[in-house]
Amino acid sequence: MADITLVVDPARPTGSRSSGRLRAAGRIPAVVYGHGIEPISVSVDAKDLRHALGGEAGSRALLNLVIGDGEHLAMARQLQRHPVRHTVIHVDFQVVRRDELISAQIPIVLVGDAVAVHRNDGTVDQEMTVLTVKAKPADLPPHVELDISNLEVGDSLRAADIALPAGVELDGDADSPVVVAHAPRTGPEDVAAAGEGAEPAAAVTEPPDAS
Amino acid sequence: MLMPRKTKHRKQQRGRLNGMTKGGETVTFGDFGIQAMEPAWITARQIEAARIAMTRHVKRGGKVWIRVFPDKPVTEKPAETRMGSGKGNPEHWVAVVRPGRILFELAGVDEALARGAMERAIQKLPMKARFVTRPGVGSTAEVQV
Repeated sequence: MADITLVVDPARPTGSRSSGRLRAAGRIPAVVYGHGIEPISVSVDAKDLRHALGGEAGSRALLNLVIGDGEHLAMARQLQRHPVRHTVIHVDFQVVRRDELISAQIPIVLVGDAVAVHRNDGTVDQEMTVLTVKAKPADLPPHVELDISNLEVGDSLRAADIALPAGVELDGDADSPVVVAHAPRTGPEDVAAAGEGAEPAAAVTEPPDAS
Repeated sequence: MLMPRKTKHRKQQRGRLNGMTKGGETVTFGDFGIQAMEPAWITARQIEAARIAMTRHVKRGGKVWIRVFPDKPVTEKPAETRMGSGKGNPEHWVAVVRPGRILFELAGVDEALARGAMERAIQKLPMKARFVTRPGVGSTAEVQV
């Protein structure tokens, strides 16, 4: 994976109003940290950042950050987004080394169709959407795939069932369920409302953080 | 309908609805969601109506998460009452929603069915809202810079 060069401006004024003016001028406030360097407040051109992170590697692209006279190998650790517009409003760049293992979260993509589950009116519940892995920066895959075509009602697939590419190892509990195939559930309120013989309706769950 | 089991105080002040949501702006539990685009108070009745519209359209399968909870009491004075004599009685419960907040989430159905169900649910809500997908699901690119 070839590195992408990204020129950042180290002369960035801090504060919310200055940051707002930067964004209006087409630049994104950012910070560079890691490996013992003092955190540096920088700004990066929005178009350059889009080109750098819009490639095949996505947000896990290895970037060659040019800061003034110095250069750092870095990755975009976190992208903060506007809640409504979804535009990037801040970036955290973490300095990395090529030969060092780093921990990163990789999206899990389900492939195949769980025919047996759908035939029995069951639902496929993806409980985990990202997998925490350890790898060298250049070995991090853009995503990992999990085949669910052989899933039956009542089965579950765990983190250990995901085939990882060479050089990538799981960082976390291997027994954590990733996908669970549930039997059809019947909501008592919906059945009462729709009368007898009603088909099982969508189940409602309240998330733990509902407020 | 949703309402708190018990509260510390029976009545609350109204507050302001300025700014964006401070959290709950990402689709976390399911694959699809409804995101508020305007600030509003959503009543427990509206939340329930939206949920019923969504679950009826999905018919079978699917899992729904309600990401807002109506924990604010709204008082009203009885009709034809003279002003004064203190604050009115608690009549209903609302959830305070600012732009960006995810209101409902849905999983276990395909995108077309989810969109249809959520567009019906949006009709029951008192403000503009839109259908959103979790990054990486369906046609959504994982990174949109």
